[in-house]
Amino acid sequence: MTALTADPYADVAVRGRFLLGLNPLAKLAAPVPAMIVLIFVRDLATPLALIALAYVVLLAGARLTPRLLLLLLVALPAAVAVLGFGMAVWTDASRVDQSVTVLTLGPWTLYGGAVVVGLATALRLAAIIALALIAGLTTTGPDLVRATVQQLRVPYRVGYTALAAFRFVPRFGHELDVIRQAHRVRGAHGGRGPFAAAARWWGYIVPLLAGAIRHAERVALAMDARAFGAHPDRTERHLVPWRTRDTVFTALFAATSLGILWLLFPWSV
Amino acid sequence: MGNRADDTATGAPVVQVEDVAITHDGETVAAPAGASFTVHRGEVVLLLGPSGSGKSTLALSLNGLIPHAIPARITGDVRIGGMDATTTPVSTLSTTVGMVFQDPDAQLVTGTLIDEVAFGPENLRLPVDVVLARAEDALRRVGLWERRTENPDRLSGGGRQRLAIACALAMGSPVLVLDEPTANLDPAGIEEVYATLAELAAAGDRAIVLIEHNLDQAVALTDRVVALDARGRTVADGTTDEVLRGRADELHALGVWLPVSSLAALALRDAGWRIDPLPLTPAELRAAVEAGDAPAPRQARGPEAARGPEGARGPEGAEGATPRQARGPEAEGAISVRGLSVSRGRNRILHDIDLEVRAGEFVAIVGANGAGKTTLLQAIAGVIPLPRGHVSVAGVDPARTDLRTLSRRIGFVFQNPEHQFIAHTVFDELAHGLRLQRLPEEQVRERAVEVLTRFGLEDRADVHPFLLSGGQKRRLSVGTALVAGAPILALDEPTFGQDRARADELLRLLQELNDAGTTIIVVTHDMQLVTDYADRTIVIDGGRIAADTATGDVFADAALLQRAGLRLPPLRQALQGSRHPELAHVTRLADLPAPVIAQAPAPSPAPSPAPSRDARPARPAEATP
Repeated sequence: MTALTADPYADVAVRGRFLLGLNPLAKLAAPVPAMIVLIFVRDLATPLALIALAYVVLLAGARLTPRLLLLLLVALPAAVAVLGFGMAVWTDASRVDQSVTVLTLGPWTLYGGAVVVGLATALRLAAIIALALIAGLTTTGPDLVRATVQQLRVPYRVGYTALAAFRFVPRFGHELDVIRQAHRVRGAHGGRGPFAAAARWWGYIVPLLAGAIRHAERVALAMDARAFGAHPDRTERHLVPWRTRDTVFTALFAATSLGILWLLFPWSV
Repeated sequence: MGNRADDTATGAPVVQVEDVAITHDGETVAAPAGASFTVHRGEVVLLLGPSGSGKSTLALSLNGLIPHAIPARITGDVRIGGMDATTTPVSTLSTTVGMVFQDPDAQLVTGTLIDEVAFGPENLRLPVDVVLARAEDALRRVGLWERRTENPDRLSGGGRQRLAIACALAMGSPVLVLDEPTANLDPAGIEEVYATLAELAAAGDRAIVLIEHNLDQAVALTDRVVALDARGRTVADGTTDEVLRGRADELHALGVWLPVSSLAALALRDAGWRIDPLPLTPAELRAAVEAGDAPAPRQARGPEAARGPEGARGPEGAEGATPRQARGPEAEGAISVRGLSVSRGRNRILHDIDLEVRAGEFVAIVGANGAGKTTLLQAIAGVIPLPRGHVSVAGVDPARTDLRTLSRRIGFVFQNPEHQFIAHTVFDELAHGLRLQRLPEEQVRERAVEVLTRFGLEDRADVHPFLLSGGQKRRLSVGTALVAGAPILALDEPTFGQDRARADELLRLLQELNDAGTTIIVVTHDMQLVTDYADRTIVIDGGRIAADTATGDVFADAALLQRAGLRLPPLRQALQGSRHPELAHVTRLADLPAPVIAQAPAPSPAPSPAPSRDARPARPAEATP
């Protein structure tokens, strides 16, 4: 637990990167219309244009870390290539445009139509991911909770309890490791195959749950002892306000994605 | 020591507990059954009582968690700053009573130190500038202000507990209640927490109610002591002098823990030393012993040298100086490690370890957090993958031995016994290990019942292991580790987070097993355990063996201890280098001079459940052929 590589709670406040200064809800909401449209389009141009939009926003507004660049410039394109080819091979050849032949291996032919369908599918998925990254890469968990409490009026008892529960995750991961070790030493549920594996995991659940419940009770007592839930609201030191720029960002982003749709109108064919 | 209380204890008490009895839902017996005491601003009150007297329950009732969060029936009067704690909500009481619990991890809610400390004041709807001012003040008082932007996970155990103290301070409450705040910490962490508490006590602006088993350190900052009897009724309430010095024998007879230094002084008195007044801290004991003269040597050794549960080894003083290594003809190598290195990821955790454990030894592995103690133990027991050809356990290499064979050589007991349970009944838990050996069902039954009886679990055979009491769970985990017939038992932090009584119960069990020939190798932070029980101590520092020698020699090397993040146990602190040769090398109570026989009608009917060596049950080795 001491060797965290990335601190999920660390403050990300860097001047000049506008996405970091926006309300998390704006970053979540703005791309939603485009994401919904992406479920229904079938062409190549619309997802490409929306990916380009997401990339422009991210490169201009997020902190440029090697991780971000690697993700955008290597990982995502590679995923599109692999997924696109897989989908192309998998597509039912009798239902696609067979005018262009890309590849023939014995009795099997890969048609241009299948490649287009495969790529389009992969690009749609990539576009949805790229749009989700706008919020995902620039928002911290605590800020999202604060925004849901402050703007969406989610009761703070729910929001901050969820935040406290984040802390459980690494602890339980560690505890699960120890339990697996202990069970292996005892020679519990040896054997291969899905049934043995299921029995093994079932055996981990009881001790893990027992530990989890005890831990949760202690955390709850500690929170109660510090007046958690005493009043209908609590002091917010970190305000996550909804500002004009959030409205502008959301409106501009929605308008741009609609503009792209208007120009490309993917349902004309 | 008690003077400060008189200066500051003016006005109405902040805590007023009168004849309080608390019965948890589902229980029939109240514990505590009749506790009464008061606490004034600026006082440090130590709450003592035998295990089961309801000290923690009482602590939880002071800020209303009982009965508001944990259902229970309360009779009597708990008044906090004039408010009735049984009817006032916890949130209101929290501004009067701040709590610090045992487990530092279970008190963290947020992601940075400053957010953590601000959490309480924010819940009170204080204005932001007040919240920040309080947070800064609290963090400065515990010395963590410079680290305010860090994640609490990066703090050591002691650091996290200091953070918990800061969080309680930030509530602005005049009373601070700490329930076993150092039970989960290593020696360096305990020292940190006590340094912080000493500063708070010196400032004198808060009342502190302390429940603690680490009395030698706690007593140094205590003004007043409240002692409960086994049922949780107040039997003593007064200044530290009055209660601990004046009524030590009586409290000891009730089963109340006393500082080790006081126990040692009582034992020395029985041996004819004139020690008055009774010392409470290692420093006082040292002063008393150095000032006095040894009694005329009357070599009559009484049968009962041990004063308390800590003296569980019984009248063994004469033997204590020489580690019991040679154990007859079979005293051969039980464990042999040669040039072992272990890495996890890119980190090398153990470097080139060489060690040898002979059959029948009781060996402790100690060292600071992260030094690699547990990894070493796990490598020896084959719990983690390790390179071949470096370890030999009872003649086999764990790296290439299947589990069935290995479990007949060495048993491993994890820190939390629950992690090891895999069956639905206590009987099956034991039978599992035997069935793994492919024994006929007839024999499985026979052996399992044998072990059940041996570990006092015969009437719990059909119970789910998770429904056992804490002590029973621990005994069962030891039983499952040994049921296949392993002559070696490895334990990882077996006393971590337990109260002294339960820890002692386990240690007596280990001692019996060891006497019957089982080799014991244990990783621990508990220096009293090490000095009381281990023949030999291996100190690990930075993944290397820093020392491997008789326990007494390890604790004679102050530089080594400091370097390895260890501390001297109280008795050693007091007596090291004493001008009395018979005391200079004493590390445990059992090694103190025995009482002179003339005092046959013992002044205190020692309630010690500690079995003397002669009275122990028939050969425990049934489980360990």
